[in-house]
Amino acid sequence: MSQIPASSKLRREYHEELNRLEEQALTGFDLVIRSLDRTVEAVENQDIELAGMVVKDDQQVDARYLEVHQGLITLLATQSPVATDLRLIAALLHVIKNIERMAAQCVNICKVIPLTGHEPPIDPRMIDRIVTMGRQARILVVQARRSFVDRDVDMALNLATLDDEIDICNRECFSLAIEIGDDPDRREWAMTMLLAARAIERIGDNCVDVGEQVVFVVTGLFREYADTSDLPV
Amino acid sequence: MADNPMPPMASEPPTPGTGPAEDFASGGSRIPAWGPWAVIAGTALVLAGFLSLIGFNIALLAVGTVLVSIFIVYLWARKAEGRRQGFDRAITLGIGSLFALAMVPLVSLLYTVVSEGLSRMDPEFFSSSMRNVIGEGGGVLHAAVGTLIITGLATIAAVPIGIMAAVYLHEYGKGRLKRWLTFFVDVMTGIPSIVAGLFAFALFALIFGPGIRLGVMGSVALTVLMIPIVVRSTEEMLRVVPDGLREASFALGVSKWRTVAKVVLPTAMAGIVTGVMLAIARVIGETAPLLITTGAFSSVNLNPFDGRMANLPVFTYTQYKFPGVPPEPFIERAWGAALVLIIIVMVLFLAARLVSRRYGIELRK
Amino acid sequence: MAATSAASAGGSVRSGGVAKRIDVKDLNIYYGSFLAVKDVTMTVQPNKVTALIGSSGCGKSTFLRSLNRMHELISGTRVEGSVTLDGQDIYAPAADPVRVRQQIGMVFQSPNPFPTMSIYDNTAAGLKLNSKRMKKEQMDNVVEKALRGAHLWDEVKDRLDKPGAGLSGGQQQRLCIARATAVEPDVLLMDEPCSALDPIATLAIEELIEELKRKYTIVIVTHNMQQAARASDITGFFNIVQSGDPGVLIELDSTEKIFSNPTLKETEDYVSGRFG
Repeated sequence: MSQIPASSKLRREYHEELNRLEEQALTGFDLVIRSLDRTVEAVENQDIELAGMVVKDDQQVDARYLEVHQGLITLLATQSPVATDLRLIAALLHVIKNIERMAAQCVNICKVIPLTGHEPPIDPRMIDRIVTMGRQARILVVQARRSFVDRDVDMALNLATLDDEIDICNRECFSLAIEIGDDPDRREWAMTMLLAARAIERIGDNCVDVGEQVVFVVTGLFREYADTSDLPV
Repeated sequence: MADNPMPPMASEPPTPGTGPAEDFASGGSRIPAWGPWAVIAGTALVLAGFLSLIGFNIALLAVGTVLVSIFIVYLWARKAEGRRQGFDRAITLGIGSLFALAMVPLVSLLYTVVSEGLSRMDPEFFSSSMRNVIGEGGGVLHAAVGTLIITGLATIAAVPIGIMAAVYLHEYGKGRLKRWLTFFVDVMTGIPSIVAGLFAFALFALIFGPGIRLGVMGSVALTVLMIPIVVRSTEEMLRVVPDGLREASFALGVSKWRTVAKVVLPTAMAGIVTGVMLAIARVIGETAPLLITTGAFSSVNLNPFDGRMANLPVFTYTQYKFPGVPPEPFIERAWGAALVLIIIVMVLFLAARLVSRRYGIELRK
Repeated sequence: MAATSAASAGGSVRSGGVAKRIDVKDLNIYYGSFLAVKDVTMTVQPNKVTALIGSSGCGKSTFLRSLNRMHELISGTRVEGSVTLDGQDIYAPAADPVRVRQQIGMVFQSPNPFPTMSIYDNTAAGLKLNSKRMKKEQMDNVVEKALRGAHLWDEVKDRLDKPGAGLSGGQQQRLCIARATAVEPDVLLMDEPCSALDPIATLAIEELIEELKRKYTIVIVTHNMQQAARASDITGFFNIVQSGDPGVLIELDSTEKIFSNPTLKETEDYVSGRFG
């Protein structure tokens, strides 16, 4: 009987590599959290230097993306993965994209902050909303990471619910911007801040996407959860 | 002599690019191809000269030459090529000598028969019998024809029985019956030919009385001797047919007997024919059984069921054992008959090889 | 068993030729007193390719051979349970194994064309060996149809009288497939048909299988999981716990499911190469 022995070096190395790539991908979440924290702080304090740091450090995320992507493609080519391994690799390919996008959104926010000038005519209500959104987004990112690591379907599905709050805040920002827009001095700033709010809302959506991938890995089924109305009862 | 693929003489300065090959070189120059032969020739000459002084003895010459040559070649090769090659060459020389030794009887036999029998290779020898011949002249026509008839009948009887038995044993047999049959065939391969002759004699004597001599009796004896040979060689040929062919046939929904008849046997046929030819060659020269069954006869007799029939082995024997006066013509005829017999056997062997090569299918992959 | 009817003008061998299904129920296969395969219940779907995978010695070849009673060539084998071809029990006391094998054909791992026969005769062997009376023209049609069906016609049409053994490995295997299909069986069993072939020849055979399933029901045993994944519609996974145990059918499902999301962990472990 020629069973592959449990101690097969080649198979062990393959699975170890897969685990390593997963870990490497997931640390991307940590980078996103760091960027997000700094971004929120930069918005709160209109800190141009901090924003600049975020933009500069984004290349780390891109480098990680390329590295993990290459590793996953290599595994696909050389190991013919099937079943759970295959679903995991497919999910990771999606998730690293989500991570890269989330980091890019932080960069987008940080890029618009300097545009507002050094002493911008701020509206504290707007700032407040955005900071709230940012903090909620942070919770989502942490939970997205956790749900993937633990392969927790319920936690993953819950992300859609958490994302709803961001969406509500985003709509409030929109209304606020319209109101502020009447004032020609603050109009430009309001538009800029709206862009920031939109970017955070995108971060939330990316986290929901990560949740969808978690469900796919565990169940083999893929369903879009655009909002809570799509959730299974 | 043994061929070692080695780089050229190391006495040349190493040229660039031959570095790695040097690792494999064992140093030293090679012995030329004619080297060992020269040693043998030289030793033989020297020993011959030596022996001519004290008393020439060919056996001593041969043994002495071989032993001394081996020793010399070993030393030479060891010095020139290395220890392992030296040993190699010595062994090769030794084995070659043993082979030569084994060939000596065969060559000697052939030489003797050919040289002695050549004198009677004339048309008269092949066209006349011993009818009305007292001294000179005469021929082997009756004996040759008799051998062909007797052996032919034996073949006709033995081949179907032998092949059928082999087919049964290999394709159908199982369990106890197969084991018993195999055992009996094994016993039959060991039957001394005289016993087979006695069996045929007793069989016919029971029916016709003890004085009976018939060509067909000889055939019966030869059949008994041929059957186990045919069975064995056919079995071997059937074994060589890959099981995959049988499986393929069965998988097509072909019954077993059709598979055997139309797939297995045709595939093995060349081998079986070769085996039959070799069996014929084996029994064609059996003297003892024919001596007591067919007797001797001086004229051509084409009817195996009517009286004595001459055949080559018995003819050879009687000519040699009961020469007249003068004995020379008889002895000559004996040698001539022996030569004819050997020629027939050679032809059969050659034919067997030709059949095998032409029609044989390369089955062993 | 459906009787082989007289040849029609089109040169086909039997009427119908509709691919049939095989139903296996509680099949146990014994070598003497040793139980080699235990309690297999499954259905082989018509006009589909069913692949059987599992490690060596887990009984999948034994099981395959029991589907056309080829395992009976080894003495001392017997089965319990039932195997039916479209409802007809192939192990019924009145069933003739020879007739069963005319309906359920087999292709083997090592190509085995008959060495004494030409390509033409090899293809027609199923008919000729059984002494089927047929006009030359009809026989020609059967041979051409079979060789075309095996994607071999163009390569050999000019040398039909040459020996079958003179072809390359891949061609020989296609010849064996042509030989098997010439008798128009209902089911075609294939025991690791590509194991002895190079990748290009393997691909050719896989393409052929894809086409053959339109006419035949096909069961293929393979060691190569990627091949099972590529070439089959349904996959069955056989396994044994340890050496000496009987082989058991662990899971049978659509190929897509087995390789993307198998139900049982044992299957998952096997296909992704995790053991212990």
